[in-house]
Amino acid sequence: MLTYLTKSIVGAVVVLLVMSFIVFGLQSIIPADPARAIAGPNAPPETVEAMREQLGLDDPAVVQYGRFLLRLAHADLGTSVRTRQPVSDDIQQFLPATLELGLASIALGVALAGVMAALQFLIPGSAGIRLAMVGVGSTPIFLSALLLSYFFWFQLDWLPGAGRLTYRDFAGPTGLNVIDGILVGRPEVSVDALLHMILPALALAQPIGVAVGRSLNGALHDVMSQAYVRTARGKGLSETKVLLRHGLRNAATAPLSMLGLQVRLLFGNLLVVERVFGWPGLGLYTVQAFASADLPAVLGVAIVFGILYILVNTLIEIGQSMADPRINL
Amino acid sequence: MVKLSHRTSEPVTESVLSVKDLSVILSREGRPSRVLDGISFDMFPGEIIALVGESGSGKTSIGLTLQGLLPHEYLPQIAGSIRLAGIELVGAGRRTWQSARRHLVRAISQDPMGALNPTMTIRRQMRESNGRSEGSIEDWLSRTGLPDPDRIADALPHRLSGGQRQRVLIALAMMARPKLLIADEPTTALDVTMQAQILDLLRVLARDQQTAILFVTHDLTVAASLADRILVLYAGRIVEMGRMQDVARNAAHPYSAGLLAARFDLDSDRRRPLPTLPSEHTPSIRVENACAYATRCPIAQPDCTAIRPPLEPASVHGGAVACLHHEQTPFLSAQRADAKPWPAQAIQETAALRLSNVGKTYPTGARSFWGRRQPQPILRSINLSIKLGECVALVGESGAGKSTLLRIAAGLVVPESGTVTRFDKLPPQVVFQDPVASLTPWLTIGEQIGERLRAVSPDSDYGRRRVGEAIKLVGLDPVLMDALPAEMSVGQCQRAVLARAVIVPPRLLLCDEPISAMDVSLAATTLNLLSDLRRRLDMAMLFVTHDLAAARIIADRIAVLKDGELVEIADPDAIIAAPQSAYTRSLIAAMPSLQAGGGR
Repeated sequence: MLTYLTKSIVGAVVVLLVMSFIVFGLQSIIPADPARAIAGPNAPPETVEAMREQLGLDDPAVVQYGRFLLRLAHADLGTSVRTRQPVSDDIQQFLPATLELGLASIALGVALAGVMAALQFLIPGSAGIRLAMVGVGSTPIFLSALLLSYFFWFQLDWLPGAGRLTYRDFAGPTGLNVIDGILVGRPEVSVDALLHMILPALALAQPIGVAVGRSLNGALHDVMSQAYVRTARGKGLSETKVLLRHGLRNAATAPLSMLGLQVRLLFGNLLVVERVFGWPGLGLYTVQAFASADLPAVLGVAIVFGILYILVNTLIEIGQSMADPRINL
Repeated sequence: MVKLSHRTSEPVTESVLSVKDLSVILSREGRPSRVLDGISFDMFPGEIIALVGESGSGKTSIGLTLQGLLPHEYLPQIAGSIRLAGIELVGAGRRTWQSARRHLVRAISQDPMGALNPTMTIRRQMRESNGRSEGSIEDWLSRTGLPDPDRIADALPHRLSGGQRQRVLIALAMMARPKLLIADEPTTALDVTMQAQILDLLRVLARDQQTAILFVTHDLTVAASLADRILVLYAGRIVEMGRMQDVARNAAHPYSAGLLAARFDLDSDRRRPLPTLPSEHTPSIRVENACAYATRCPIAQPDCTAIRPPLEPASVHGGAVACLHHEQTPFLSAQRADAKPWPAQAIQETAALRLSNVGKTYPTGARSFWGRRQPQPILRSINLSIKLGECVALVGESGAGKSTLLRIAAGLVVPESGTVTRFDKLPPQVVFQDPVASLTPWLTIGEQIGERLRAVSPDSDYGRRRVGEAIKLVGLDPVLMDALPAEMSVGQCQRAVLARAVIVPPRLLLCDEPISAMDVSLAATTLNLLSDLRRRLDMAMLFVTHDLAAARIIADRIAVLKDGELVEIADPDAIIAAPQSAYTRSLIAAMPSLQAGGGR
């Protein structure tokens, strides 16, 4: 286990180095001039030149890359062109909202997957369930986000559909509003935060649920026809015990891998969903950064998502080794 | 250990299992088929009954029916009566079945590798099992002869060998002290030495715990070494039943007689083709009012297809037989003995294959930090040459390196040291263990055989003629040229695989355990076919097997492989008469034979 964690960290550093190289390469390829951007479009050429010198843009590429790495090591991701704030400060500000929504979507997605696999297992070969799955699975996320927000917020007004909290000036210690509400002793904040989360989390959970549910269902179907399941039935165990003790655990590996893949896709979907629901997180931040060609901000978010992805992958692999003790990390 | 054995001396014992007129209909892909048809028998405490038949005879279905575990996607319809320890199970509710499985009937299966949950320790799997057992888990494990039960109890199944897993499964079943144990081909996947030990164990358990054992097998020799009584099953019906020794000596049904004749052992005549059963036909007659065996039966009369023969007392032994003309059966064996001997095979001095100092390791040891595994030697400096026209059988237990050696000979695996020399450039052809899996499911047999004709289109007249010749050469019906593998039986698939291998006759044919998964009559048929093909096409052959009897029948020389080293190589009869290595002696000693054992 210790070796495995060491290896994961070494792997993460290598991945970050590669990513930093790509990011740096992008910065020098893209025809946007940071000096001009900072000095302003109407600045005289000598000001731009001075800014260029100040930023060290005339130094050799290797020196620039070294400097870039050094700053990266100090968590300095540069300054956002749009907000004029250090990108790392921006990320610190917007990350909790995204984390909260992302975690809620993953939890909801896994729950959906479980329900779907259970339904397919209980009513095998049901055309209705299969049709529903194809329907839900084939709806693109921008459409389902729009539909959810239109019906449940705009038309029915059952659930809030914009922002993440009604209490504008609330700020807690962790930035995760649901937890902060409890920590600070204001449960009404937690409830409010949860209500705000339902629609966007549902939109994000839908592809996770379909993909993981299918994979779980297929794996379960396979496992339940294995000889060892017959052995378990032959012991006179009830079908529920057979499913829970012998079926689920052996079927866990493939859906866990699928979950890992879906989390990666979730990062992209966050951009769309946060935009639709006005969710003040990294996704919305990135969309806005795109709109104003804010390269440092985009690349900073890319690095943060990269780290999150490595983290998720490591967790998934640990989960797989817990489900199947033959996987020796 | 002997505390229950006094029961055998009781004069009258109540039957523990009573099956009456049991019929089962399963629907596969919407087509209902009767897999069991009017089965009736009784079993008594401590009795071992062998249930014998070819694949597809319904013997596995009986075991599953008695456990209530027929796959429900086949919509089983069960009629008749199963009384187990006085409880009627046909039509019983789910809870009754669960309780019966928990306390009364247990099973051990054909596939010890797959029958244990891979993610659960042995201890937890056993803890789920104990019904009213008083002994500890370690106790039960050591009763089955497992050394170091503490370590095994805490291990995961993949750490154990096949034999160890089968013992665990037996412990798992026996610790519930069931009245009935269904053993479905429990030794098929095991080596002969392991097989002998498992059979001993079952015998002891039946005696000491007074468990009735229904031993499902296709192997009459194994049945004879273990069982008290035998039921012969054909097409879902009992065609003969009686005391094991009676039936083994004087089979009354032509089918049982055929099965007995097809069985081969270390004493079978290897100079001529083995006796086989007439080849299987897809039943074209309606069997409700006929004998199901009539289409294959050498002594069939017109009335056989008009009347369903009842199970009636046999004239030759104290049991029962379902054959209208069973008094004719004894004359069958006389007809069989006069097969023509094989023609002499010319063996040249030139080698078709020569392996010099061949060594191979597999990375299966412990992992290092960077995830590389330590290499473990699997073959050590093998020197083996096969002459043109010669057949060498490679014998050894699982894990000895047999398959690796064959793959190196085929050029599929590159050895780390040593040289492999072949007579010609034409690559050798390989016949693998599972003929059905060796065929591509979506290509017709003709297409797959014709594929090997490189420059010729298999659809051209010439191509089709060549394919047709190959198909006839292996004794396959030419109409099967356009069939898909799923439409054919295992035996037909095996012939198709051979046709594919010999349409362009290779100098060297490599066979990897081609008969190990086959029932007796099919195995004998395949051995005959291979013997015939290699003589007709003048092929050298490497025949990998764990079956010494099969090796002796087909090969000119036997090579014995043990832990990656060739321990001896010699003429088959010389090796069996005077084995040089301790390992070969143990292999010969473990061979079950029809004469020995059983019949208590």
